[in-house]
Amino acid sequence: MFLAIKEIKHEKLRYALITGMIMLVSYLVFILSGLSSGLQTLNSAAIDTWGANAIVLNKDSQLILPQSVVAPTDVKRATAAGGAKLVQFGGLVKDSSGHKESVQTVGIDPNEFIYKDLKIETGKTITADNQVVVSDNLKVDGFKLGDTIKFANTDVSAKIVGFTKNANLNIAPVVYTTITTAQKITERPGVVNGVVFKDAKPDVSGLRTSQVYGIDEFVNALPGNSAQTMTFNFMIGFLMVIILIVITIFLYILTIQKLPNFGVLKAQGVATKYLVKNTLFQSFLIAVIGVGIAVILTTITAVILPAQVPIFISASYVAVTAVLIIVMSLLGSLIPIREIVKVDPYTMIGG
Amino acid sequence: MANLELKDVSKVYGSGVSQLTALDHVNFSAHEGETVLIVGPSGSGKTTFLTIAGGLQTPSTGEVLINGNGYSSTNKHAQSDLRLHKIGFVLQAYNLVPFLTVAEQFELVDKVKQNNMSAERFEDVLDTLGIKDLLAKYPKELSGGQRQRVAIARALYADPEYILADEPTAALDTNRSLEVMSLFNQLAHKYQKAVIVVTHDQRLEAKADKVYQIIDGKMSLLSNNIE
Ligand SMILES: Nc1ncnc2c1ncn2[C@@H]1O[C@H](COP(=O)(O)OP(=O)(O)O)[C@@H](O)[C@H]1O
Ligand SMILES: [Mg+2]
Repeated sequence: MFLAIKEIKHEKLRYALITGMIMLVSYLVFILSGLSSGLQTLNSAAIDTWGANAIVLNKDSQLILPQSVVAPTDVKRATAAGGAKLVQFGGLVKDSSGHKESVQTVGIDPNEFIYKDLKIETGKTITADNQVVVSDNLKVDGFKLGDTIKFANTDVSAKIVGFTKNANLNIAPVVYTTITTAQKITERPGVVNGVVFKDAKPDVSGLRTSQVYGIDEFVNALPGNSAQTMTFNFMIGFLMVIILIVITIFLYILTIQKLPNFGVLKAQGVATKYLVKNTLFQSFLIAVIGVGIAVILTTITAVILPAQVPIFISASYVAVTAVLIIVMSLLGSLIPIREIVKVDPYTMIGG
Repeated sequence: MANLELKDVSKVYGSGVSQLTALDHVNFSAHEGETVLIVGPSGSGKTTFLTIAGGLQTPSTGEVLINGNGYSSTNKHAQSDLRLHKIGFVLQAYNLVPFLTVAEQFELVDKVKQNNMSAERFEDVLDTLGIKDLLAKYPKELSGGQRQRVAIARALYADPEYILADEPTAALDTNRSLEVMSLFNQLAHKYQKAVIVVTHDQRLEAKADKVYQIIDGKMSLLSNNIE
């Protein structure tokens, strides 16, 4: 790959520019995908921590948990099959020193798996009514262990006994409490919004007004979720196409400028294969360097961004995207390579 | 004995009214150890002749033989290979790769081909051509004459049997032109190469072993200083 490397060394500015382009676009792709999964996490991280794979919801709920009411007989059948009852609603909580936060309150039953599996980061778990375990995001907002919080528009208050990680639902921190306390706040005693199962195909039959849904289906139906994912995916897709076009244009211009030299090298018997290999290697090299720097920048960005910015960089996603960008760069060199194959040494010499 | 022969070669470009006979039943031969000059005005068919002799184009009729073997009828790949091993081109322009230093131009030959000139013989060539001090320079840092001499060295480095040069002195003044031509002559004799030079510059005739003239694609022997 002698020619490739010598040329890059000699034409540092040109190749630095292309590498810089690839780097910037890759960086943008990584950050966008980081934000995409970050927002997704805000929307649904709590659901992941439950480890649930199926959910029973009212058929008319449009898969929106707070909108669903599961009939008492259906609740009975579902819990008999190992399900865990859920009550969910959104609202404001305040502590005595005036901290306020919009949260999603989730009522859980101490006899069921969500309660049992709830991981406490600091403090302890709920042992009685009017106790809450809350998302550790609320720490940042000033809420502390032992604080008493009041649920807005009600006279119900509860004591923070513990913090838990990754508790986000519908872009708000989660407040876990007992199902009885939750029902006291909603003033709808006995009303259950949904029942989740670890089993992807729970053994429930005879449901009357409700139905079993897969958890992915449920997550996709979270308000704004699919629109958001689609928007990001479109942006990322467009950026991929832009990378392809940028690489093609750059390499095309560079190659056209070099055609007389390629022609003479061919006249001197240098195999076309050798010239093509060098050009491909050049694309590969600049793509790897560009993407590599972008990965480093992305990592730095993820570390220095304030915690409030929802960004979640997944190593596997970055790896797959990086490979994809490199493949795009190689594809981008196909048209220039065609020019190299086509160039007739005779036409470069005649005259 | 190495020799390159064109037997009754014609080259016709285009067809119908725009048809043009660039080479008209040309017979030609060059042997190792001799400089052959082909003189002709612009448009007489010199480049056509050289590219056919060097396997960059195929003749319309007739045959090119290298050391007695048919050349023009083999495939592109084989022709490229033959160029790599047996033929060194020296052209009017673009001879050198712009982003390689003079030393790297030779290194590139090593990358694509084995059995190049031995170190001592190469030293000798560099001395003869007077380019020893230029090894670290890029082509754009060289004068036209220096570039042409590097191009000649590059062609020689691959140790070909034939050197084909297309108007190698076009960019040079009279003195330099005569110098380059003497060099070709010297190289042909010293390293036993067959050197074929096409030019429109008649002043070079004195420096060649054999001189052909080409006019409107017809070639004739003008002088032969060998016998
Ligand atoms: N590829 C081509 N197609 C058509 N005509 C050509 C082509 N190459 C050369 N010619 C014509 O053939 C004649 C000889 O050209 P060339 O061999 O380049 O002459 P010279 O090198 O002596 O100037 C010219 O009239 C030129 O216009
Ligand atoms: Mg010409």
